[in-house]
Amino acid sequence: MQRSNIFDYKHYFFFKIAVAVILIAFIAYIAFEPPIGHYGGSWLGYVLGIISALLVFWMTWYGIRKRRYRGSGATQGWLSAHIYLGTALTVLVTLHSGFNFGINIHTLAYGLLLMVVISGFFGNYTYMIYPRQMTENMGEDNLDGLLLRIADADKLARQIALIMPDDINNTVSRACSETAIGNGLLEQLRGYQPNCPTAIAVAQLTLMGKDLPSEQRKPYRELYSIMVRRLSLVKRVRQDLMYRARLGFWLYIHVPFTIALLVAMMAHIIAVFFYW
Amino acid sequence: MIHCLLIQISNNKRGLPVRSYRTITADEVTIGRYVECTVQLADPRISMHHAVIKRLADGQAHLVSTNGELEVDGVKMQSIALTHGKKIVLGPYILKVEPAPPDVSLALSLELTRPLPDDFQNIKALTQEPLKGAAAFKRKLSLWLAGVIALIFLGLPLAQNFIPQLQATMAQLPLGFDRVWSPGHISNAHLHFGSQCSNCHQKLTQKVTDNACMTCHRDISPHIADTDLQKHAFNKSHRLSDGVRCAECHREHKAPHPLARQDNANCVKCHGNIKAINPKTKLSNIHDFDRDHPGFKLTFSSGNTREVERIPQTDTARLVEKSGLKFPHSQHFGKVQGPNGIWDVRELSCTNCHRPEGKEMRFQPVAYARDCQTCHANQLDVGPEKATIHIPHGTEQSVMNALKVQAPKQVSQYAAVLKSDGCSYCHEISETKKGDALPWKIAPLNINQDWFSKAHFNHASHRSQKCESCHQVEHSESSADVAMPDRKSCLRCHSGNNPKPKRIASGCMSCHDFHSSHAAKDTNQAKEIE
Repeated sequence: MQRSNIFDYKHYFFFKIAVAVILIAFIAYIAFEPPIGHYGGSWLGYVLGIISALLVFWMTWYGIRKRRYRGSGATQGWLSAHIYLGTALTVLVTLHSGFNFGINIHTLAYGLLLMVVISGFFGNYTYMIYPRQMTENMGEDNLDGLLLRIADADKLARQIALIMPDDINNTVSRACSETAIGNGLLEQLRGYQPNCPTAIAVAQLTLMGKDLPSEQRKPYRELYSIMVRRLSLVKRVRQDLMYRARLGFWLYIHVPFTIALLVAMMAHIIAVFFYW
Repeated sequence: MIHCLLIQISNNKRGLPVRSYRTITADEVTIGRYVECTVQLADPRISMHHAVIKRLADGQAHLVSTNGELEVDGVKMQSIALTHGKKIVLGPYILKVEPAPPDVSLALSLELTRPLPDDFQNIKALTQEPLKGAAAFKRKLSLWLAGVIALIFLGLPLAQNFIPQLQATMAQLPLGFDRVWSPGHISNAHLHFGSQCSNCHQKLTQKVTDNACMTCHRDISPHIADTDLQKHAFNKSHRLSDGVRCAECHREHKAPHPLARQDNANCVKCHGNIKAINPKTKLSNIHDFDRDHPGFKLTFSSGNTREVERIPQTDTARLVEKSGLKFPHSQHFGKVQGPNGIWDVRELSCTNCHRPEGKEMRFQPVAYARDCQTCHANQLDVGPEKATIHIPHGTEQSVMNALKVQAPKQVSQYAAVLKSDGCSYCHEISETKKGDALPWKIAPLNINQDWFSKAHFNHASHRSQKCESCHQVEHSESSADVAMPDRKSCLRCHSGNNPKPKRIASGCMSCHDFHSSHAAKDTNQAKEIE
């Protein structure tokens, strides 16, 4: 059992630092208001801007640091700092801006930073809830195990369906050969597939079983229960794919927007000092 | 009747084809998944009753579909004549008409060409990887975003700065590429040229210089008239930067905030410890109007010269206005008797004579014709009752001329009367030297117009107050009295930098102007006598 997680790492050490940073920034912001209002070019603005820029570089370094199995400090601690100081960073840059927004590179850089932080929050959220749900969903199985069980069900179902009337046989056959799992990004994120052939097969089988001759009743019932089992297995696999997709999806935004933020931040700094 | 040889071809464990022969004799040969079919094909892709081989009316053996699909060369058919060499696709099977041996009428071979796929491999193939291609997508999106941002927000603005031809071309357009660098709105006054950044930002990596401002604001007054002193003072107060720039107080890109700074910080930076800037100065240190602003000095014009003298209000002995007039305010205030006797009572207020003018409510100079003649006669009567002569209001020269015309014999007598009792009623009279054409002269009018020449005062914004709450003239018997309010009377309503209970915060800029602080105005604005 892990003793601490990324949030309470070392008794909320980085949380306390983040809170202190935010408080100091706020106090300075209130205490030292320039006569023409807050803006990025006041001395407080410069200080906040420099700290924020250093924080951005440092946080980006985390992306490289976590892929290395050497370096100082536990990766867990780095992540804890990454999360808490990233949150504090949002406050710092907002105060740095002095709430002056417009259609320009400066606000673009701010917007990109917000996108990065918000996507980070979402990623955080997924890591808080999905791993537990994934375990609940899979139990002691793994993905290949589930797929094997589906294949097993397929074989049985096909065999029984051979002696069934054509419509039942066709339905079962289509369900077994055409049920795709996690087909496309949207379905992976939703964890649900409309018009799933297996679900349709189960629904149709319910109706088809009415007028069967008595000698087919027993295999029909067997077939039906196999298909219901297949459906529940398919749903579990879909659910698993959904969790994996959601766990990884926020990085679609977090990483590219970080790169964009770095470029925008360089442009922001160059612009400010070129047209001083 | 069909007499047929059926060759079923299947693969053994090693994958080699194995043929099994079977002769069928029946009226109809049924093919299907059903157990009771003549040829049972146990595959889910075959119908229960897929097809039947029978002789049709023409005596030829046909394969006729009962509930399954039959295909020849990709064409779906209902009924197919079984002639030699025909190849029929029957679900996953291929049915081929072979050359018939002599003992049978028909030979067919049946081969399973598309066996069922392995169930596990099948479901595995149908299951997608989560977020397939995510890494490639992230890389692509990163590159695109970075590229577009670098181009629009860095590349193009820089190119405009480094390529003069591009700069010239962009100058024709309403916006340049560097517009995206603008940190905020430009003030209205500068908007018409502000869309071209290079108009003000003349050199890269350099702060906007005063030269850029001076392109238009050529005749702005300096803060200190002595340019050397100003240069010295500004350099001394801004040791880290290169002196005081216009942009220090006039912050652009902050619209709708006012362009000029209104706070005291920059003033107090020097005036809080003015001796450090210039040890020889007579100015005192000022931080705050309420706290340490010295008492006011009044500007007096001394005689005819343009020079002015500044006298502290505390020096009451010297606060004497030598206007050349005798005017008791006390007799011209409130209810006074008019020229027509005791029944002619008139109510006089300040604005009867001091007529406000302009947006800031300054005052027109008092004029005899307009302000005095409403009550006072426009001529003086001299001489005995029967031979009274009328002398109209005018210069001493015109008075003498009038005397010479109307009473040439009594000129000197009447001139003496006017000197002691006529003109001198209101005017100061000065003697002339002997031999002068005029026996005496009216002292020149020297009515002060601007007492606080180093500050500006807006009467309009004080119009809710009574005049006498600041200018106490009700009991003034002499026009020599100066009735200007002192600092204390300002402090009744105004406080310093910070507001106080029932007092308005007033900074340096409330009264003083940075650019004309040393430009004492012409204080003597007496007009020609009408």
